[in-house]
Amino acid sequence: MYDGPMIDCDVHHARATDQELLPFLSRGWHEFISNRGPAGIMPLTVQDGLPNPHGFMRADTFPPDGSPPGSDFEMLRQQVLDRGDVRRAILTFGDDSHVAGHHNPYFAAELARALNDWSIDRWLSRDERLVSSIMVATQLPEQAVAEIRRHADNPRMVQVMLVDNPHRYPFGHPVFHPIYAAAEEIGRPIAIHGGAGGWANPASTGGGKVNFYFEAHTLWPQVVMTHLVSFISHGVFERFPRLRLLLIEAGAAWLPSLLWRFDTDYKGLRREVPWLKKLPSEYVRDHVWLTTQPLEISPKREQVAELLGWVNGADRLCYSSDYPHWDADETNYIASRLPASWHRRVFFENALKFYGWQEADLAPVGGRNAK
Amino acid sequence: MTTDVGPVESFPDGQVSIITLGRIEVGIIRWSGKVYAVSGICTHQGGPLCRGVLSGRLAGTAPGDMTLEDAAPVIACPWHGWEFDVCTGEAIWDPAVRVRTFPVKIVADRVLVEIGAGSRRWLASPRADET
Repeated sequence: MYDGPMIDCDVHHARATDQELLPFLSRGWHEFISNRGPAGIMPLTVQDGLPNPHGFMRADTFPPDGSPPGSDFEMLRQQVLDRGDVRRAILTFGDDSHVAGHHNPYFAAELARALNDWSIDRWLSRDERLVSSIMVATQLPEQAVAEIRRHADNPRMVQVMLVDNPHRYPFGHPVFHPIYAAAEEIGRPIAIHGGAGGWANPASTGGGKVNFYFEAHTLWPQVVMTHLVSFISHGVFERFPRLRLLLIEAGAAWLPSLLWRFDTDYKGLRREVPWLKKLPSEYVRDHVWLTTQPLEISPKREQVAELLGWVNGADRLCYSSDYPHWDADETNYIASRLPASWHRRVFFENALKFYGWQEADLAPVGGRNAK
Repeated sequence: MTTDVGPVESFPDGQVSIITLGRIEVGIIRWSGKVYAVSGICTHQGGPLCRGVLSGRLAGTAPGDMTLEDAAPVIACPWHGWEFDVCTGEAIWDPAVRVRTFPVKIVADRVLVEIGAGSRRWLASPRADET
C-alpha cells in the first residue's frame, strides 16, 4: 500500500475522433487530409501492429459513448489523477505516438506539430497535473529540432519522446544528434518509449518479425536495450553531458545483466569507441532512469528488488501506470512488489529529480489521498 | 634484484620481446627509445598478455574521433582484448586495475630489469597477478 504523492510517468491520452485534430493542421494539410470525397479522412495513425487477443485497452477504460480509451478527460481524471495523490501525469499519446512510423516524412512532421498543439489545447488546459511529451517526426531531424525549440518556453511540455524508428540505425546514431542537441539546449530530457513486433519500426525485434503479440510483448524491452546500448556506444552522453534519458514501458529487471555484459565488453572493445570515458554502467548511473511498467514479476517478491538493487533501482525507477493499456500496472500492486523503503522515491522523488522539479511546486490538487 | 636481460639493440623498437624470469613471461617493450617491462599475465583471466598486440593508444575527444597517441603505448591481451598502459600497467578503462610492471634501467647499452623482493615471490607463482 502506498498513499503518498505520485508522478505517473506514462499516461496515454488519445483523440476521440480524427476530426479533433483537423483544426490544428495547416490549411493545406487540412485540405490534403480531409477532402477526399467519399473516402473520408486519410488515416492519421500507423496501424500495422500485431493484434492483442484482449484488445490493447483495459475494458474498463472505454468511455460510455464508445470513444477510444484515454480520450475522455473526465474518465481519465477519475481513473488516473484522482485515484491517489497524483501530482503530475506525463501524457505520452496513444496510437499517435507512432508518428515517426509514417512513410511520408512531411506528413509526419505536420502531424507531430499538430499533435503537440492538440495536447496543449485539449489536455493541458484541463488540469494542471497534466504535462505532455513533445512528439517529433524523427524522419526529418531538422524539422524535429524546430518542433522541440517551439516548445522551449512551455515548461509543461516536459520531454522529447521517441517511439518508432524510421531510420536504419538505433537512436544513438548521429542522425538523431541534432534532436538531442535541441533537447539539451532547451533543458528537456529524452524519453524512449518501448515497442516491438510491428508498427513501422524496421528493427522492432532482432532476429526477425515475430508472429504473435505474445512474443512481441515478451520482447518489448529488446528494442529499448538496443537504443540504450546505441546511445552509450555513440557517446551521446559525452557529446551532450547534460542530457537525461528515461526508458518508458520496457520494464527494468533486464538492466543489470545488460550492464554486466556491456561493462565487460567495454573492457575488451574500448578501442572501437575511444571517445567513451567511463564504463557503460557509469553513463547509465549518471544519465538514465527507467519507468516501472511492466514490472517483471519474480517468483518471490524479494527477487526483483534484489536484482534491481544492482542498478540502484530505488533511485532510478519512476512509477508509470501505462493507463489505459491492458497491461497497466496498478499502484498498490507495484507497491507490494517493491520494498517499502523505495516507495516514495519510486512513486515520486525520482521523477521529481528526472524532470528537474521541486516538490513545493507540485502542490496536491485533489484525489483520494491528497493531503 | 637486478636482471640483465640483454643489449638494447636486441629489443627492436615498437615490438614486444618475451623473456622468462623465474616461471613467468615478461614482455620487454622498446617504444620510441624507452624500454619497459610488463608482466606477461593478464589480470583478467590469466591470458598471455605480452603475446597480444602492441600499439599506440587510441583516444577520442568526441564521438567519431579516432586519435592515435603515439607517446602512450598500449598492449591488448589476445584473450578478450583488455588493454593496458605499458608505462604504468594500468587498464585503460580503470587505473585501479593493473598488471605488474618492473623498473628498467639502461646501463652501458644493456637493459636491466629490477625485480624487487615482492616481485621475486610473484615470479615464483604463475597466477600471482590474481592474488
